[in-house]
Amino acid sequence: MSFIKVLILKFSSLRTQTMASSDKTINTDVPEKDVFAIHFLQSLSNLTTQNPFNSPDTTNYRARKIKKAAYVSMAKAAGGSSRLWSRALLGRAAKENNKIVRFARRKRKVTWKISSKRRSDQRAPEATDRLRNLVPGGGTMETSKLMEETAHYIKCLSMQVKVMQCLVDGLSPK
Amino acid sequence: MDLTGGFGARSGGAGPCREAIGLESLHLGDEFRQLVTTLPPDNAGGSFTALLELPSTQAVELLHFTDSSSSQAAVTAIGGDIAPPLHSFGGTLTFPSNPVLLERAARFSVIATEQQNGNVSGETPTSSVPSNSSANLDRVKTEPAETDSAVEKQVPSPNQTNRSGKRKDFEKKVKSSTKKNKSSEENEKLPYVHVRARRGQATDSHSLAERARREKINARMKLLQELVPGCDKIQGTALVLDEIINHVQSLQRQVEMLSMRLAAVNPRIDFNLDTILASENGSLMDGSFSGTAMQLAWPHQAIETEQSFHHHRQLQPPPPQQWPFEGLNQPVWGREEDQTHGNDHSNLMAVSENVMVDSANLHPNQVKMEL
Repeated sequence: MSFIKVLILKFSSLRTQTMASSDKTINTDVPEKDVFAIHFLQSLSNLTTQNPFNSPDTTNYRARKIKKAAYVSMAKAAGGSSRLWSRALLGRAAKENNKIVRFARRKRKVTWKISSKRRSDQRAPEATDRLRNLVPGGGTMETSKLMEETAHYIKCLSMQVKVMQCLVDGLSPK
Repeated sequence: MDLTGGFGARSGGAGPCREAIGLESLHLGDEFRQLVTTLPPDNAGGSFTALLELPSTQAVELLHFTDSSSSQAAVTAIGGDIAPPLHSFGGTLTFPSNPVLLERAARFSVIATEQQNGNVSGETPTSSVPSNSSANLDRVKTEPAETDSAVEKQVPSPNQTNRSGKRKDFEKKVKSSTKKNKSSEENEKLPYVHVRARRGQATDSHSLAERARREKINARMKLLQELVPGCDKIQGTALVLDEIINHVQSLQRQVEMLSMRLAAVNPRIDFNLDTILASENGSLMDGSFSGTAMQLAWPHQAIETEQSFHHHRQLQPPPPQQWPFEGLNQPVWGREEDQTHGNDHSNLMAVSENVMVDSANLHPNQVKMEL
């Protein structure tokens, strides 16, 4: 009846498909747009339920919140803990949330640890390290795994950009 | 020296080695089948147990100094006794009826026999007709460790048949000392069998593993290169990686910009979503306030709030429209309310269509231009 139920049904069917095709060597399934959209919309509604619009939040803070919600829902839509980067994103979000709850809104600076042993690729060491800093959870991956995760991460990011663009276009005042 | 020769022959071409292995196993299987079929295993007991109690070298010598018929019988007895487990082990072997293969196997067996004969007794390899069985015996006794070294010795053996006995004694020492080493090395190499060393490439296990790793990285790089637009024409790993990094950074920046824009238009989303949820479970709209209270009691944790959200929607849906109805009864919202209550379903479908259909057509360049 309502589109959320339809989307959830579609989500379950897509989930079974991805489970069936998960035994390939390089598995970069495109994550589902509707799944990300539904996660994102729900977390947005939660966000505004917790912080009503007339609360003294600045737009900057709200934008940060929305960005975090977008990343978390992207990680969830990408399959939760099946990917290394999504697992790292979710873990980081949980950690930051704990920090924020405990200490009053201090943004914890996350520094990815880069072990010098992993830096064994002689051709482009600094480039891979920069890529490691970009992909969440990339500090502890080996290089081939980092490439694979980066491919999946890029796909998810482009999907996220598309969906958010559609949301902005569809919901902004004409 | 023999070891290096064997390795050289191995790294020279993996094809002949493989063929030799296949021939060797085929040859062994064929002989075992012959032995099993020719001799019934019940008269095997006495001589074999008598042989087993001796040390192996003595047994070989004993076999060697008897006449050919008795040694043949004893060895066939041994073969008949030992063969069934090995035969069952090699159950996947197919015994060829191809005469060419059989002839080549016979030739290889003769070469191996000469080699083994020289190794064991130090004699000249010409008198090797009865000691065919002794070589077979030796190979049967040390079967799992022997196959590799025997195969490696078969390839350079035509050059070695007319060498002196001294050299062969030395070879024997080397062989006996490196037998265990070789078997362990082969166990290590087993996962990397699919990596072929080309001419002039190193063949130790570290190099093989490193090569496999590099090939894996190159495959992933190719995949990434296909993903990033305009990246497939660039040559060089560092440049490709730079392009990939730029792409990821631009995507992350786009997400940031879009979240800022969404924050600017956020209230309408809230209202739409709330009406969505209200229309979804409209019959349960008069639920308790405890749901909202619990939702408020959660910390700012998107994960847990979302989980609790699912939870509540399954058990007892919270009335989410209480917040906008409570504090936001402004004329703007009233207009929105009328509109959305009038055709909420069509609006929802429009939103979902917008999400599902239009997002397929958007490209990052368009997004950039719009921004």
